Amino acid sequence: MAQLSRILLALLRMAAQAAGIVVIVFLLCRIAPGDAVDRLALEGGLTSAEETALRHEMGLDQPILVDLLTWSAHALAGDFGQSLRYGRPVADMLATALPTTLTLAAGSFVVGLLLAMGLAVSAAVTGNRVLALTVNLVNVWSIALPTFCVGVVAILVFSVWLGWLPVIGALAMPIVIIGIDNAGQIGKPLLEELREATTSAHVRTARAKGLGRPRIAVFHLLPTALPVALALSGLVLAGLVAGTLTMEILFGLPGLGSLMLNAIHGRDYPVVQAAITVVAVALVVINAVIDIIHHAVDPRLAR
Amino acid sequence: MTDSPLLSVRDLTVYADETMIVEAVTFDLRAGETLAVVGESGSGKSTLALAVTGLLPPGLHCEAGAEVRFDGVRLPLEEDRAMRALRGTRIGMVFQDPMNSLNPFMRVASQLAEALGRVGVPARERQRRIAALLREVELGPELAHRYPHQLSGGQQQRVMIAMALAGSPDLLVADEPTSALDTTTTGEIVGLLSRLRRERGMALLFISHDLGLAADADAIMVMRRGRVVETGAAASVLSAPREDYTRELVAARRLLAEARPTAASGEAPVLASVDGLAVDYPARRLFAPPTRVLHDVSATLRAGRTLGVLGRSGSGKSTFAQALAAMQPPSAGTVRLLGAALTPLDATLPRRERRAVQFVFQNPQGALNPRLTVARALAEPLRLAGRLDGLDEAVARALREVGLSPAMAARFPHQLSGGQRQRVCIARALLCDPKILICDEVVSALDMTVQAEILALLARLQRERGFAMVFIGHDIEVVRWIADEIVVMHQGEVVDRCTAATLGAPDRHEETRRLLAHARPLVHAADIATEERRATA
Repeated sequence: MAQLSRILLALLRMAAQAAGIVVIVFLLCRIAPGDAVDRLALEGGLTSAEETALRHEMGLDQPILVDLLTWSAHALAGDFGQSLRYGRPVADMLATALPTTLTLAAGSFVVGLLLAMGLAVSAAVTGNRVLALTVNLVNVWSIALPTFCVGVVAILVFSVWLGWLPVIGALAMPIVIIGIDNAGQIGKPLLEELREATTSAHVRTARAKGLGRPRIAVFHLLPTALPVALALSGLVLAGLVAGTLTMEILFGLPGLGSLMLNAIHGRDYPVVQAAITVVAVALVVINAVIDIIHHAVDPRLAR
Repeated sequence: MTDSPLLSVRDLTVYADETMIVEAVTFDLRAGETLAVVGESGSGKSTLALAVTGLLPPGLHCEAGAEVRFDGVRLPLEEDRAMRALRGTRIGMVFQDPMNSLNPFMRVASQLAEALGRVGVPARERQRRIAALLREVELGPELAHRYPHQLSGGQQQRVMIAMALAGSPDLLVADEPTSALDTTTTGEIVGLLSRLRRERGMALLFISHDLGLAADADAIMVMRRGRVVETGAAASVLSAPREDYTRELVAARRLLAEARPTAASGEAPVLASVDGLAVDYPARRLFAPPTRVLHDVSATLRAGRTLGVLGRSGSGKSTFAQALAAMQPPSAGTVRLLGAALTPLDATLPRRERRAVQFVFQNPQGALNPRLTVARALAEPLRLAGRLDGLDEAVARALREVGLSPAMAARFPHQLSGGQRQRVCIARALLCDPKILICDEVVSALDMTVQAEILALLARLQRERGFAMVFIGHDIEVVRWIADEIVVMHQGEVVDRCTAATLGAPDRHEETRRLLAHARPLVHAADIATEERRATA
């Protein structure tokens, strides 16, 4: 019962957070000087009467509050309006862009998590120096080398010189590049947590019970490090919004990042609003899910 | 039973880098018998326990010449795989801190099942065996489904013991199994271990800092600074110790059996009194009622006298002291403190008077700022009072008063021993010229011999300076020795009050008797042990 009410409360908090972000984004889009009509006028040379008519047609002359309410009501029904630039429904544009970004984000997250866990756990359990060094190396790599730099070099080496992979449209390279970046951020703190756990009293008890190394690693060491791994995953997932954006542009992937960037250049606010809303909701959901998982795996937090 | 020992240790030496932590330790433990290893902190007794089970933490190594035989077979102490075969099967272990020694992520049943699975008990039988193990350590079957944090300290330690029994070991190594528990629970756990050893015919290697707990053992080995000081039959070590250090250990406990020199009695002025005091802690959640942690407490504190507050952990002792010192506003009732009346509406003491109430806490390490030298820590109360002249002399005088050399002033807390740190804390309190000194478990974290020194120091200072003292503790012998009057607390209430002399009367409250039953004055312990052995033989 308490469990259920806690989850409900978390969901409510989540909805409030998402709503807050949406409102702020909406206001920012409207406060920023210049709109889509200004942009079109620059290119096409519209008369002032034509501009006013166009603004009316696009609903840009409405009071901001009315605009926000109409937009929100439509958005809740899945209708994000029409792109000012392309005249296509924004929902369709998102639907074509999302799969690419999701594959990129999920793929690189999984690669990062598996790489970090694999390296950190085996380094902690075996005490192998080379493995520990690799964890450190990947960590320094992720701090010192921005993904777009690595991306440029990777294109040069693998696509231009070696000719193994196509430059445009391939997902494998960006997934591995962001994956390594993620692994660097998770791996080192995780290893340190695991090292501390190996000297903890309950792991000593597990050894006193005569359990074998694999069993100790999986049932006694890993759970101790899980809260840290979860918290780090949350940070990494949030960082993926920026990470995927640059990779999409560099590798010419038609994802959410490219869509957003083009929309911002063209003052195509319905697209910007919709894209940011999707990202915001995704982040809030990820945070809530991580919180719920954290409570589920650590019995001391369940009340 | 054969005549050869179950565990035989010869010349066991453990190094941490170049430092010797355990030096050439030799002993024998026969099947079914108990060897108590007694020593103060830093004596190497726990390292010894970890060494013979192959559980030394990284950085510690046994010297190659050591020979440890278990059941006649030489143990490869540094080979984890080989040692693992013995652990959980023929050798069981129980550790110091049960809260952290159990896996917080696993239910009691899973942890026990894991231990049973390790010795090859098939899955379908485990349920039944878990229930049997829990019964053996006197726990209800419903506890199987709990997580460790849902158990009390005593229950956690019982689960640890049940887990160690899962493999039906021939040897149980218990490393300070009671040092994290209060006196009552300690008595229960020691009794349980002793019964289990008898019933199962196991050998018990019992490690403790408390000589009083060793009375049940067949033999006692006293350790100090990594070396064996004395080994012998329990009764003879306790009643006729051969070495000076052992005598000191025994005497530390005996001090408590001698009367404390008291100041002239008579009607001393009342410095503080509480009447119908209740304290609430704010609720954790919105709209939930606050938690009442103290109910209807009344007590009087007179100049030059000591009020002992006795109770188990969680009985409200410390909250009572904080309310008495105006650090916790009363939720009901009144506190009269040095002429001021503290009520639920106005619970502040005038700034001038605050200095007159001073605290000394349990953990001197935590109570001293690690970045301040002793001199600066002691000068702080003087600076606050605006007494800037002759700071150095005042500090030196204070150090001498608590029995420390003025040269200690330049040291940092980590360069002092536990007893010295506690002396510094007492000196700091004295520099405020307190009328009331509140001692909250001040000796609980200290070794036995140091405890005696600190208690004697407090008694002397009180005689010389005439302050009133509130002495909080869970060790009935300690509180009885230092206090004039005693209140016994249980679940936030004062359940009994008496003078130190009448504490042992037969018509005392149930809780008082329970505390008394588990106190083990060492003077009698040896006799009791011999009695018991005669009875079982």
